[in-house]
Amino acid sequence: MIHMNDTPKLLVIGLDGVPYTLITDYIEKGYLPNFKKILSGGFRLHQMDASIPDVSSTSWTSFMTGVNPGEHGIFGFMDLRPGSYKIYFPSSRDIQAPTIWDIIGGTVNNRNSALYGAYKTSINNRLRSIVLNIPQTYPAAPMNGILTAGFVCPDLKKGTYPEYAYNYLESIGYVPDVDAAKAAEEPDLFLKEVFSALEKRALAYDYFFDNESWDLFIGVITETDRLHHFFFDAARDQGHKYHDLFVSFYKRIDEIIGRLFTRFMDKTGGMGLFMTMSDHGFTVLRQEVYINSLLREGGFLKINKQKEYFEQIDTGTKAFCMDPARIYVNLEGRYPLGSVSAPGKKDVIRELKDMLVSLADNNGNPVINTICENGDLYQGPSSDKGPDLVCLANDGFDLKGTLKKEEVFGKGQFSGMHTRYDAHCILPGNIEMGVRLHIENLAGIILNYFSKERTWNT
Amino acid sequence: MEHLTILENKSIFIIREAYYRFKDIAMLWSVGKDSTTLLWLCRKAFFGQIPFPVIHIDTTYKFPEMYRFRDEYAKKWGLNLIVGRNEGQIEAAMGPGKGSKLDCCNELKTNALKETIGKYGLKALLLGIRRDEHGIRAKERVFSPRDENFKWDYENQPAELWDQYKSTAAEDNHFRVHPILHMTELDIWRYIKRENIPMSELYFSKEGKRYRSIGCAPCCSPIESNASSVDEIISELETSNTSERSGRAQDKEDAYTMQKLRSLGYM
Repeated sequence: MIHMNDTPKLLVIGLDGVPYTLITDYIEKGYLPNFKKILSGGFRLHQMDASIPDVSSTSWTSFMTGVNPGEHGIFGFMDLRPGSYKIYFPSSRDIQAPTIWDIIGGTVNNRNSALYGAYKTSINNRLRSIVLNIPQTYPAAPMNGILTAGFVCPDLKKGTYPEYAYNYLESIGYVPDVDAAKAAEEPDLFLKEVFSALEKRALAYDYFFDNESWDLFIGVITETDRLHHFFFDAARDQGHKYHDLFVSFYKRIDEIIGRLFTRFMDKTGGMGLFMTMSDHGFTVLRQEVYINSLLREGGFLKINKQKEYFEQIDTGTKAFCMDPARIYVNLEGRYPLGSVSAPGKKDVIRELKDMLVSLADNNGNPVINTICENGDLYQGPSSDKGPDLVCLANDGFDLKGTLKKEEVFGKGQFSGMHTRYDAHCILPGNIEMGVRLHIENLAGIILNYFSKERTWNT
Repeated sequence: MEHLTILENKSIFIIREAYYRFKDIAMLWSVGKDSTTLLWLCRKAFFGQIPFPVIHIDTTYKFPEMYRFRDEYAKKWGLNLIVGRNEGQIEAAMGPGKGSKLDCCNELKTNALKETIGKYGLKALLLGIRRDEHGIRAKERVFSPRDENFKWDYENQPAELWDQYKSTAAEDNHFRVHPILHMTELDIWRYIKRENIPMSELYFSKEGKRYRSIGCAPCCSPIESNASSVDEIISELETSNTSERSGRAQDKEDAYTMQKLRSLGYM
C-alpha cells in the first residue's frame, strides 16, 4: 500500500568504512545485485572524501553536523584536556555544533553552526528521526525520536533514548559493538559475532522502520569496519582463507539494503530520498608507521617512561603525535611543559615537514602523501583545539600515534587501514554537486531536502 | 511489621536457605557498607558465630583504613577470614597505572576470586550487591548461577516467582547468592543506624568530602559532603539524586573505551 505523506522522508544507510572502489568491484563481479538494481534505477555511486583525520569519530561527526572539525570540535577518539597532557575521550557532549536531527527536530538548544544558520528559517523543525548506531553519539541526548549510540558505547542504556527503545534493544540481545579483541586469537568466533551483530542490527532497523513514525531514518552498520581492520586482505584475494566469508558478508549487506530500499520506496510511493554512505574508505595495510618514534629519533619528543599515556611527554619536547597522525607543537602557554615559543613555532613546523616528507620505507617508498596545516583544514571556534599538522599517508602505510613503540615501522594484527579519498555515497542522480563530494556536504543535502526552499526535486 | 524488619527477615531467610543448600559456601567481604551489613546479617542468622569463611579479595590497593577496619572486626567477631590475592600479578606489579584499569580489575579482583574459589572448592558465595546500585544489577536474581568461566548468562536464568528460589546448579558452576538484593542504599543506612553497625570512617565527612562508595584507593573519588554521622548521611541521601557509584562510573566507561580503542589499533 502506498502512503502519500505531506512531509518527505529520507533514509540513510551508513556503511562504516565501505570503500567506493570495493563496491564498484563487487558490483562488477555480480556480488551486489541489489546495489546494481538501485544504481540502474536513477541513483549514482560517488567516490567521496572523508574528514581529516579520517577516523570514524571525526568523520561521522562531520557527517551529522555538516561542518568541519574546527566547528564541531571532534578531532579524534582521544584528546587532551586543555592546558594538560591528560587524555580524555570526547563524547557526544563535546560536539559543539547541532546535528541534523537536532536541527529538524527542534532540539538545537544553544548550539550553533554555519549550516544551522543557513537553514534556521527555512527548515521544518518538528520532524522525527530514528538514528541507529552512528559512532560518537554516546551518551544519547534527548531528541525528537529514537537514538541508539554507536562506537564507543560503554552502556547501552545510557546510549539509548528514550528508555522504551532501550528496553526493546535489550530484549532482542542487540549489541552496540562486537568484541574486536577476539579477532586475532579466535578469528572464527569473531567472524561469527560480526555476522550475528549485523543480524541484530537488521532486526532492530526493521522494527523501528515499521513501528515508529519518522521523517529521517539513519541506520549505520559498523561491522564492515571491524571486518576490514582484520581481514581487508581477504577482500580481493580469492586464495585467502576468509575470502568467501568476506564476500558473503557483503552479499548479506546487499540483501539487507535491497529489502530496506524496496520497503522505503513502497512506504513513500517512490517519493522518498534514499542514500547510502561511508565515513572513510579502506585499503590493505602493508606497514604501520609510528610517528612518535620518528619524532623521538628526530629529537622532537622526549619521554618519561615512569608516567602513562601522554603525561609521558617530558621537558624539551617540541612536538608529539596523537592517533592517527595529528601532530601538535608543544607550545608554551598551551601545554604545561611547552618548550616552543609562539615565534619559534613556524620553524618547528618547517623542520617537522622536512623530516616527514623524506620518510621512506626500506625499499625507498615514500610514506607521507600530504601534510596539512591547521589553517588549511579547520575553520571555526574549535580550530585552536586542533592539531598543528595532519599527515595523510600513501596507501599501505597506516600512521599511528602510539607512544609505546621504539621502532618507526612495524606490522601488527591488522590487515586494513582507513583511506580518506575512497569513501562512498549513493545519491539520486538528479542531485548534482558540481564538485567532488565531501562528507561534510551530506548534512546540507539532507537539510535541503526537508527545507521549504528545496533546490531540487526527487 | 516494620519495613527494616521485613527486609532483615527476608535476608536472613536467604542466608539460612543458602547455607542449608550449600555446605561449601563463603561470603565475600569488601569491607564496604553493603558487605559489612551482610556480614552483620550473617552473624544474626547464626546467633553471632558465622559457620563459613569470610573472604576478602585483596588487590593491595585498598585504603589503609579498610585494612585496619577488616583486621579489627575479623578479630572482634571471630571470623574465619580468608584473604584472597592474585600473588603472581601482584609480584608482576599489576596496577591501575599498568595496562588498562579493566585489566587491573580483571587480574586483581576477578582472577583472585577465581583462584580462591578453586582453592577452597566453594560451590556458593554470598554477596552484598543491591538491585538499585547499577542498571545491570536490576537483572540479578537472589540465586544467580555462574558458569566455569564466570560468565553470567543473564538471559538464561531461572525465574524467581513468589520467592521460590532455584538453588541447584550443574557440576562446574557456582552460585552467587544475594541476600540484600532487595535493599536500597537508603535502607542500608537506615538499617546501619537501627543496628548500630560499625562502619569504615571513610564514609564520614572530613574537610567537606566523604566516600559514598569505597574500593581501591586509586579508583575511588570522594564526593562533596558535610555528612559526618549516620543521621546526616541518611538526610543527605533523602534529598540526593546523583548516583551512588558516579565517582566510579566515569572510570569504568573510560576503561571500556580504552580497551575498545586498543582492540582496533588505537592508543
